[in-house]
Amino acid sequence: MEKQIFYYDNKIVRMFGNATILWALVGMLVGLLVALQLAFPAFNFGLPFTTFGRVRPIHTNAIIFAFVGNGIFTGAYYSLQRLLKTRMYSDILGRLHFWGWQLVIVSAAISLALGYTASKEYAELQWPIDILIAVVWVIFGWNMFATIAKRRVRHIYVAIWFYISTVVTIAVLHIINSLAIPYSLMGAYSIYAGIQDAMVQWWYGHNAVAFFLTTPMLGLMYYFLPKAANRPVYSYKLSIVHFWTLIFIYIWAGPHHLLYQALPDWAQTMGVVFSVMLLMPSWGGMINGLLTLRGAWDRVRDSAVLKFMVVAVTAYGMSTFEGPMLSLKSVNAISHFTDWTIAHVHIGGMGWNGFLIFGMIYWLWPRLFGTKLFSEKMANTHFWLGTLGIIIYAVPLYWAAITQALMWKEFTAEGFLAYTNFMETVTKILPMYQLRVLGGLLYLVGFLLFLYNIIVTAKSGKFIGDEEAQAADLEPISKKRQPGETAHSWVERRWVPFTILAFIAIFVGSAIEIIPTLMVKSNVPTIASVKPITPLELQGRDIYIREGCYTCHSQQVRPFRSEVVRYGEYSKAGEFVYDHPYLWGSKRTGPDLARAGVKGGKMFKSAAWHYNHMLNPAEVVENSIMPRYPWLIENDLDLSLTEAKINALRTVGVPYPEGYEKQANDDLKKQAQMIADELKAAGINTTADKEIIALIAYMHALGRDISESKTAQK
Amino acid sequence: MSTEEKNLNNRPEDDKLLLDHDFDGIRELNNPPPPWLMLIFYATIIWSVFYVFHYHILGTGPSQDEEYAEAMKDAEETAAIQVADFDEANISLITDEALLAKGIEIYNAKACMACHGGAGEGNAIGPNLTDKYWLHGNKAEDIFKSIKYGFPEKGMTPYKDQMSNEDIQLLTSYIVAKLVGTNPANAKEPQGDLYE
Repeated sequence: MEKQIFYYDNKIVRMFGNATILWALVGMLVGLLVALQLAFPAFNFGLPFTTFGRVRPIHTNAIIFAFVGNGIFTGAYYSLQRLLKTRMYSDILGRLHFWGWQLVIVSAAISLALGYTASKEYAELQWPIDILIAVVWVIFGWNMFATIAKRRVRHIYVAIWFYISTVVTIAVLHIINSLAIPYSLMGAYSIYAGIQDAMVQWWYGHNAVAFFLTTPMLGLMYYFLPKAANRPVYSYKLSIVHFWTLIFIYIWAGPHHLLYQALPDWAQTMGVVFSVMLLMPSWGGMINGLLTLRGAWDRVRDSAVLKFMVVAVTAYGMSTFEGPMLSLKSVNAISHFTDWTIAHVHIGGMGWNGFLIFGMIYWLWPRLFGTKLFSEKMANTHFWLGTLGIIIYAVPLYWAAITQALMWKEFTAEGFLAYTNFMETVTKILPMYQLRVLGGLLYLVGFLLFLYNIIVTAKSGKFIGDEEAQAADLEPISKKRQPGETAHSWVERRWVPFTILAFIAIFVGSAIEIIPTLMVKSNVPTIASVKPITPLELQGRDIYIREGCYTCHSQQVRPFRSEVVRYGEYSKAGEFVYDHPYLWGSKRTGPDLARAGVKGGKMFKSAAWHYNHMLNPAEVVENSIMPRYPWLIENDLDLSLTEAKINALRTVGVPYPEGYEKQANDDLKKQAQMIADELKAAGINTTADKEIIALIAYMHALGRDISESKTAQK
Repeated sequence: MSTEEKNLNNRPEDDKLLLDHDFDGIRELNNPPPPWLMLIFYATIIWSVFYVFHYHILGTGPSQDEEYAEAMKDAEETAAIQVADFDEANISLITDEALLAKGIEIYNAKACMACHGGAGEGNAIGPNLTDKYWLHGNKAEDIFKSIKYGFPEKGMTPYKDQMSNEDIQLLTSYIVAKLVGTNPANAKEPQGDLYE
C-alpha cells in the first residue's frame, strides 16, 4: 500500500514532560521537608497543614502519581505514536487526560494538607477525587486503545504490552480498593473492615508499586533503552516469559505487607511464596535491559542518558531482589515497621523511577526541540550527584533499621527488655535521620542541574509540535492464526484477546486471595467483647486519621515475645471487625498504640498525660521527635457529622442500633464531660467540647474491649 | 550505512539472531532466556510448593501462634532460673552511694520525669515525690509496690514486666535517699496524707 504522511503529536508529550519536571521539584522539596521533620521536629512549624502526618502522604502521592505518573504519560504518548505509526486517536482526549490528571494532583495536595484523607497508603484521596481519577484513567485507556486500534503496525511491541497491563490493572485496583460509603462531601468510610480492609489495601498498595511504578516503567525501558543505546533488544523470548509471569505472579504478593499480623496464615503464605517466585520474572526485565547494552558499553562511559538508564535498571534489579528477601517471614520480623522499608522504596523510587525518567527526558528533549542537549557535562554531574544521593540516603536508613530492630528485640539476662523506653531506640538512630537528609539534598541538587539543563536546551531549539512521519496502512489479514504463526505472535496482532488475557492473568490471583477473605467467616474468629466504639471515640478516631497518626504509629502487636512484653497481648483478627478503615500502619517511628487503652497495660497513659503530650511531646518525653498538636487543645469538636457518620458505619455493617444516630451526640457529650472532669482533677482546665477530649477517648478505647473480656473471664 | 546498522555491527555474531521485528527502528534478537534465570525461576516454584506443604499440608512447620507459644515457653524457663531472692515483703533500702548514683540512670531511663518531673517535683500528670505527703504510703515497701504494680486507673504504669526487683529496689532507694526532703523549683502542691 501507498505510504501516507501523518504527524505525531509532540505537544502532548511536552505538556506531560513539563508537568513531570514541575511535580518532581515539588515532590522532592516536600520529601526534603519530611526528612528534616524526622531529624529536627521544629520543621513541623506547629501548624496542622505543615505537620508530618499530613505532609508525608503529600510527598508519597506527589512522587508516585504526580512525578512518576506524568513521566509515564510523557514516555507513553511519545512511544505509543511511534510504535504504532499513527498520531494519537484523539488530541482532545489527550488534553482531557492531561488537565484531568493535573486537577487530581492539585486537589490531592490541597485536600491532604487540609486533613481529608482515607488513610489507606497511596490511596489516601477522598471519594470525589477517587471518582475523578477513575474518569481520567478511563479517558487515558480509551485514547490508548483507540490508538492501538488504528495502528499502521501489525504487531504490538512489548512496551505496549506493559502499557496495556497497566491500564487494565490500575483501573481494577483503584476501583475495588476505593469503595467507600460517604458521610460528607470529603469524608467516607471504607466498605471493608479490619483484616479484609488490610488485605484489599495491600493487594492495592503492593500492586500500585507493581502496575504504576513497575510495568509502565518497563514499557518505557523497552522503548527508550534500545533507542538510546541503538541496540536490538537482547531476547524477544525473555520478554514474553517475563511479561506474563510478572503480571500473573505480582498480583498475589500483597499479603507480604502483613506478615506476622492478624491475617490468616494461608494468606500470609500466599504473600511469601508468590513474592519469592516473583524474583526471576522481575529480573527478566533487568537482564533484558542490561544485555541489550552488549556492544554499547563503550558508549555508556560518555553518555549520561545511558548511565542513568543503567543505574535505573540496576536499582530495579536491587529492589526486586530485596523485595522477595523482605517477604521471608524471618527477615520481615526484623525489617517490618522499621526504616528498612523506607530505604527499600527509595532505591526503587530514586533509582529505578527517578533515574529512568531523567534518562528518558535527557534523550527526549533534544529530539522534541530539534537540538542538542545544552550540557552533557552537567548531565554527568547530575548523574553522579544523584547516585551519591541515593547511597547517602539509603545506607544510613538500612543501618538505622537494623540497629533499631535489634534494640526493640533485645532482652537482658533477667528476661526484661533491654530498652523499655522506646525513646532510647529513636535517639540512637537520629544521626542516621540527619545523614538521610543530606542524601536527599544531594539528589535534589542534581535535579536542579537537570532542570537548568533542560530549560536551556528547550530555549536553544525550536519545538517541533507536529512531527512528520510516513507509513503505509496495514494490508487486511485474517483474524485467524496463519500457518507458521506462533500463538504469541498471533495474539500480538490481536489487541482485544491480548487485553483479555492480561486481565485474566491479573484476575486469577486477585480473586483467589480477595474473595475468600471477604466471604469466609473462619478467617476472622469473633471476639464477643468487641463492640463498636462510642460516638466520641469515633470522632477521636477520625481526628487520628485526619492528623495522619498512623504514618508513625502502628496498631498491630505481632506475636513476638519482644512485642507482647513491650506493648501487651498480640493483635487478633476479631478485634478489628468494626474498623472502617483498618489503622494498622506500616511504620513505627513511635511506639505501637494497639494497647493504649488497656488499663494496667504498659501502654496506658492517663488523660492528663495525653493532654500534656499532645500539647508538647518533648515536655513529657525527653528528646521526643513527635510534632506538637496545639490546635487539638484549642479546636472545638465538630459534632455536625456525628449522625451521618453513625449512619454510614451502619451501612457498612457496624451494628449501631436503629435510631442511635439521634442519641449519639448526647452520649458523646456525657463521655466528653467525664474526661474533662478527669483532666480537671489533675489540674488541667479545659472544656468538654475540644478535639483533644475525643482523641483521648479514642486512645483509651484502643484494645479496651479485648482486655475487658480477659477480666470478665477471671 | 546508517548509524543504526553500524552499531548493530559492533556485534556481528548478533546478526544471525536478528528477528524480522522492527518497531520504530527497534529490532529484537532471538536469544533464549538465560538458562540460569529459568533454572532459578523453576527452583523458586519448587521451593514454594515445599513451603506450602511444610506449613499447611503436612503440618510440619509451626503456625504463627505455635511459634509464639514456643518462644514464650523458652522465655519462662529462662526467667524461672533468674528469680530474685527478695520482693516487696523483705525489701531493704540501699545506702551505698556508688549504687545510689545509678538510681538517677534508672529514673531517667524509665522516663519517670514525664510524670514526676526531672527532680521529682511532680507535674500535671504525677505527684510530687520530694515532699512529706504520700498518696500510697512512704515506707520502702509501699514505694516498691507502687512502682512494681502501678496504679493503672490513675496513669501510673506497673513496671513489674519492665524492671527487675533489684532495679525497683534501687529506684525506691534513690527516691527515699535523693529526692525526698529536697525542695526543687516548681514543686507541685502536696497530695495525699502527711507522713512525718
